[in-house]
Amino acid sequence: MALTRMHNTLSKSHVMADRMVTVNRLEEVVSTSDEFDQVVSQALPMLLDRATGYTKRFLRETGQWNDDIEHEKFALRWGSEYLERFLVCGRSEVPCRPLFLFDSLVAKQHSKPEPFCYHPDLLRPLGRFLDGLVARAVVSRDALIALYHHSYGWGAGDVIAVTGLNGLESQRIYKNFRRWRESGWQRTMDEVGLTKAELAELGHQQQRQRQRFNSEAERLIRVAQAHYRKSEPDHYPCLSRSQWGDMFAQGYGCDYRIWHLALCLDCMQTAWGLGSSGSLTGEKPRLELQVRP
Amino acid sequence: MGHEEELEAYRSQLLESLNSRPEIRSWSDPIQVYVNERRVGELESAGIGAMLQVQCVDHIETVQLRAEDGTLLGGLTAPECGYRTDRVRLSADTVELSVHNLAQGGTLSALFTPAPSFWSRAWKSIADVTDRVVARRPEPALAYGMRTVAFTQALLAIAVVGLVADRITTGRTSDRTPSPVVQTATLSPAPAVDMAKFEQQLGELARMQAKVDDALGSQQKGVVQLQQALVKLSSTQESFESNVLTVREEIEKRLETVGRETDRQTRQMASRGRVEQEQLEAAIQNLTADNHRLAKEVVSLEEYNQVLKTKLQTAVASASKAVDPSPERLLKMADSLQATQQQMPFLFWVTFSDGTSQESIDKWVYEMQGHKGAVSEGWQEVRIVPPAVPPDRFLEQIRGEKIVKAARIGQ
Repeated sequence: MALTRMHNTLSKSHVMADRMVTVNRLEEVVSTSDEFDQVVSQALPMLLDRATGYTKRFLRETGQWNDDIEHEKFALRWGSEYLERFLVCGRSEVPCRPLFLFDSLVAKQHSKPEPFCYHPDLLRPLGRFLDGLVARAVVSRDALIALYHHSYGWGAGDVIAVTGLNGLESQRIYKNFRRWRESGWQRTMDEVGLTKAELAELGHQQQRQRQRFNSEAERLIRVAQAHYRKSEPDHYPCLSRSQWGDMFAQGYGCDYRIWHLALCLDCMQTAWGLGSSGSLTGEKPRLELQVRP
Repeated sequence: MGHEEELEAYRSQLLESLNSRPEIRSWSDPIQVYVNERRVGELESAGIGAMLQVQCVDHIETVQLRAEDGTLLGGLTAPECGYRTDRVRLSADTVELSVHNLAQGGTLSALFTPAPSFWSRAWKSIADVTDRVVARRPEPALAYGMRTVAFTQALLAIAVVGLVADRITTGRTSDRTPSPVVQTATLSPAPAVDMAKFEQQLGELARMQAKVDDALGSQQKGVVQLQQALVKLSSTQESFESNVLTVREEIEKRLETVGRETDRQTRQMASRGRVEQEQLEAAIQNLTADNHRLAKEVVSLEEYNQVLKTKLQTAVASASKAVDPSPERLLKMADSLQATQQQMPFLFWVTFSDGTSQESIDKWVYEMQGHKGAVSEGWQEVRIVPPAVPPDRFLEQIRGEKIVKAARIGQ
């Protein structure tokens, strides 16, 4: 017993010593991008914990923290997000002291208004699923196109018809769908920390209480879309039906249509039927959440 | 699975995904460009060069390049003011990022350069060599001649290779034949001579080939050195231009700031001077008016003094004429003196509240049983029968009147 305790103490002190060495190395100046990569890649766990700690502190100080696994996962997810950006953009800052640069990057993120989409209901499995999808759609075109499928159950052909795309763009939509099915969806689920059991439970809910499930999903996706739509270009606001009509009729604003309609339930209702030259004359689309790609 | 384990598994998964960043291969899909985490456009990267220029009202803080699946391919963070450039390598392709932040906003320029293919590299080398030769001998006829020679050499080389292959095949076939005697007998001397000639030609060709290779190698080295020198030159020029621009902007800014500051100070001083001058003029006017008034008061006091002196002399003369100055007589004299004094009008100056009509003023003077005198700078002179109360108290009473703004004795 005493031997085990001594072993544990020794191992802890060894970890502490390692951590100190890593911190010291990160505090020193690195002069080249390669050196930056090398030093930082050896300190990923420590940097992830550091960013997670800062995020927790931010949530506590803004009264958004609870001691539960959902909040812990949320902090980890954003810590990882900051670390990814640091890995890529930090290289351009050499010569620098990586630790200080990292701290300043996180501080800069946290000094922005609403640095992330926080809502207690978005921390539960359904909320996390929707938040993950919409957040990914902002940085990935594959996810953006897949959002049409997850929101309305459409395939590539439907998306092309609804958004009124031409032949060249259509090919791209098929590729987007394929990549999402192959790897994008799984990667997104991993990133938001949804386990297989949670996904299975979402599937069951969808089967058992379809209407309730969809109305809850609609409420939550509106919260997420309102937050992430701010990441669209500034000149992509909501439009009236006549404005959408002009755009579809004259064939401009292809990007506008794809980006905005995927991220705005209301505009989808407004612009319904404009892109298909009258072939989509059925009922306006309602949210029919699809869990699987 | 408990919460701790689930959390630890999630953390490990995130770390693994950060560690195993996807290998960047050559990109055929457009590259998404984000500025300050907002999508601003894309670079078409299907084997051709592409450029994207973005002008922002705000400062550009971060630039990110992402694949269609969201993978972060590269990026940079830019300073608040000034230039930042970076070259992001995507396998053999590159994206040159250049950010220029000014006080008015920022501009981004992203240039995608695809990796040259094998054939384009080979073609480029040949074109370079040809260009060099043509550059040395610019006559088109000579260039045409060079091409003809090259074509003939190539044809010859193919023919030689074909013959050698044929001979070797023949040799191998003959190796398999069992009787060397027959073989010797069948060989005529002519092919042997041909073989020698061909061998000689082959040797010459090989030497020429080696020479051409050497020349090509040295030319390629030269081209590479030239390219490096050009790159250095362009980067030096760029940095020089940026420095010049920065210095010029700095100077303009400073000049503007200094000019603005000087203008402001001059304007301030001028306006202050004007105000002081006006104040001085007003003070001089006041002093002149006061002086004038004082002079008048002195004159009126002297007149009053003269009257008093005359009265005193009259009183003294009356007193000296008196035979028995009884107390009753003295009392009478005092009374008569007081009466004389009471008959002297009491003079004071008054100003009236704004908007008081002339009629009200006249009425008020009439009620006081007084007479209006001169008007000087808004002050009305009023003469009344000397009041029963002391002058200070009288003035207090006057000031209490509704229509009276101020009152004083003397001008």
